[in-house]
Order: sequence, then C-alpha cells, then structure tokens
Amino acid sequence: MKNTGIIISLITLLTLTGQVKAQKMENMSEHKGYKVGDVATGFKLKNVDNKMVSLSDYADAKGFIVIFTCNHCPYAKAYESRIIGLNHKYASQGYPVIAINPNDPKVEPQDSFEGMQQRAKEKGFTFPYLFDVGQKIYPLYGATRTPHVFVLQKENGKNIVRYIGAIDDNYADASDVSHKYVEEAVDALLSNKPVAQSSTVAIGCSIKAQND
Amino acid sequence: MTLKTFMRNLILILIVMISLNSQSQNTKKSMLEYPTVKNVNHKVTVVNFTKLEAILHNKDNKLYVVNFWATWCKPCVMELPDFMEVNKLYHRNPNFKMILVSLDLAKEAESIVQPFIVKNKMDVDVYLLDDNKRMNQWIPAIDSKWSGAIPATVFYRNGVKLDFKESKMEKSELIKIISKYLKQTI
Repeated sequence: MKNTGIIISLITLLTLTGQVKAQKMENMSEHKGYKVGDVATGFKLKNVDNKMVSLSDYADAKGFIVIFTCNHCPYAKAYESRIIGLNHKYASQGYPVIAINPNDPKVEPQDSFEGMQQRAKEKGFTFPYLFDVGQKIYPLYGATRTPHVFVLQKENGKNIVRYIGAIDDNYADASDVSHKYVEEAVDALLSNKPVAQSSTVAIGCSIKAQND
Repeated sequence: MTLKTFMRNLILILIVMISLNSQSQNTKKSMLEYPTVKNVNHKVTVVNFTKLEAILHNKDNKLYVVNFWATWCKPCVMELPDFMEVNKLYHRNPNFKMILVSLDLAKEAESIVQPFIVKNKMDVDVYLLDDNKRMNQWIPAIDSKWSGAIPATVFYRNGVKLDFKESKMEKSELIKIISKYLKQTI
C-alpha cells in the first residue's frame, strides 16, 4: 500500500515536470512570418513627423521596399546611405522605401521615437521612418534583425512579398558590393520578370524585445 | 491509499528532490572555485569561413560549443559572462571546447575586439570571421534556419551539428545541452 502511494506520488510529480517542459518547448517555437509569395499585411504607424503613414496612402505605388531598421545597430547605420539611395532610385519608379523601427526603446534606449526623429533629421531621410508601437508589425512579417528588407509588389490591391533579406552582399564596404539584392529584385519586378534571388540572409542586430 | 498517505509521500519526495537539488548547487559552487582557466593569450585570430569551418568540423571527439557574437551586440555581450562561467565548469573535460566567433569588422580586430577580450577575461579561443561577402553562403551552411541575427550558438562533434540556437541563451539551457552531449553532469 505504501509503495503504491509512493509510486502514484512519483507519477504525479513526473507528469507535472513534464508539463512544465512541454510549455517551455512551445515558447521556443520556430520563426513565424512571411515567405515569398505571401500576402503582407498593411499597417498604420506613426512617422517621425508625427503623422500616421499607411501603405494604402500610396495609391500610385507599384509596390514597396519595407525595411526594418533602427538607430543603434552598426549594420543598420552602415546601410543608412544605401537606404536613402534606394528610395532616391525607386520611389519615382513606384517602389518607395518605408522604414520601420521594430525595437522596444525600453530595451534599447537609443531606438526611442525621439532618437528616430533625430536620426532621420541628421541623415536627411527622404522616406517615412515609422515606429512599430507595441511591436505588433514586425512579428507578422517575421523580421528578426535590423536591417531586414521585405520587397512587396501590389497585385489586385494586395501586397505580395517578392523578396526577403539583405540589401546587398557587403555591409562593411559599399564600394565592394557584387550583388545588390534589393535592386536586382525591384528591377526584375519593374520589368515583369521573376525575382531570381528571392531570399538572402545576412548578419544583423537581433530585434530588441523585452522577453529577450 | 488515503489522501493523507498520498500527501505524506508527496512531501517526502519533494524533500528528497529539494535536497538533491541543493547538493548539485553545492557541487556547482565547488566547481567554480577551480583556478582561473589557463589561457590562450587573449588573442583574436582573423579567419575566413573555409578556415573556420575546418576548425568547427575538427574530428577529434570534442564537443564544440561555438558562439557567434560581436562587441556591439548587446544581448551577445550580456550572455558572455554565462558562457565564460560555463567554460570554467567544463574546460577540464578533454572532450569539451568552447569557441567564440566575433562578427566585428576585421579592421577592428586589434583596436576593439582584442582589448574587449582582455578586459572581460575571455579565456576561450576567439576567432573573427572576416567573410562579409559570402554571408549568404556561410549563414545557411551553419544552419538552414539561421536568419543571421546574433547571438547564435551552434554545437558540433566530429563535424556533425548537434544543436543550434538563434537567440540569447540562459546559463541553465547551455549547461543542459552540454551535459546532454558530454554525458557529464555538474
């Protein structure tokens, strides 16, 4: 009788421990977010000029170059001039740059809204630089790092993801780039061709959220 | 079995578990009292991916714990003290080797990375991976699911990848994975 008692108690304990473990496993689930070909959600976020910006504001756009970027990350900083260049080259052709800061300023104070306003002014950003308040948009896209680019193409009123990844293949030296991934993707879309390299990976700063 | 007996047994088992747990914590403490790890010159070696891959795929029966980091990466720097402590716990095991791979700029190897290693007493082999233009090849070669965010940690033995984590790791999680593959508990 005593033995049975001990065994039952042990089983109870083991089951409890097992449940805790199972919950932990769920929290460590795989990356979610868009794949090439998915329909991307629109959003309405506050720009550095305090006005709200939404993809639907751009009635004439053929698509968008959505870039998750931030103030503090050295990789993001290294790409700032190239992001300005992308907007300069493609906004007039129907693919404007929309930059979004996905970081929680409580975790990275440099990425505050005020910091964004200052950075946009200093660098002379010619595109919206939006703040992902409450960090609701970046997880839907599946952005994991800054900078992380999503090229969208408008099709029957929907924004289809056509490219996910890096801006080019050399963050350290803009003069030694062999592949301008984003430009190659947008050029292909502009000439109605499929995007040859539709996804790339690159080192970047992880997006800062409080549970990290 | 009455509820009373059940409760009594449950309490007994809990007491046993708690005492076992505290014992293992004591062991941890004594392991931490080991003399400081003998280093490795606090040097950083600049390598390309071909060279790094050869090191990581070394077929010497060692468990390679390989952490990708950078001096500018806050979560990386936050988890480094835990990695150093864990290294102290295991470094005497001949089947264990921790390697840090810096993704700082190669031109900053001596001016920034090296002083950082000295300052933080990083008693492990540190490499700086200088292969920016091939990121799109070596990131998937490390792990097909790696988006490129750091920190990231990969575990190898005899050229076989055992595990991969793209996030900051808790010390307990790191110990758990190492213990699993070394079959050595602490």
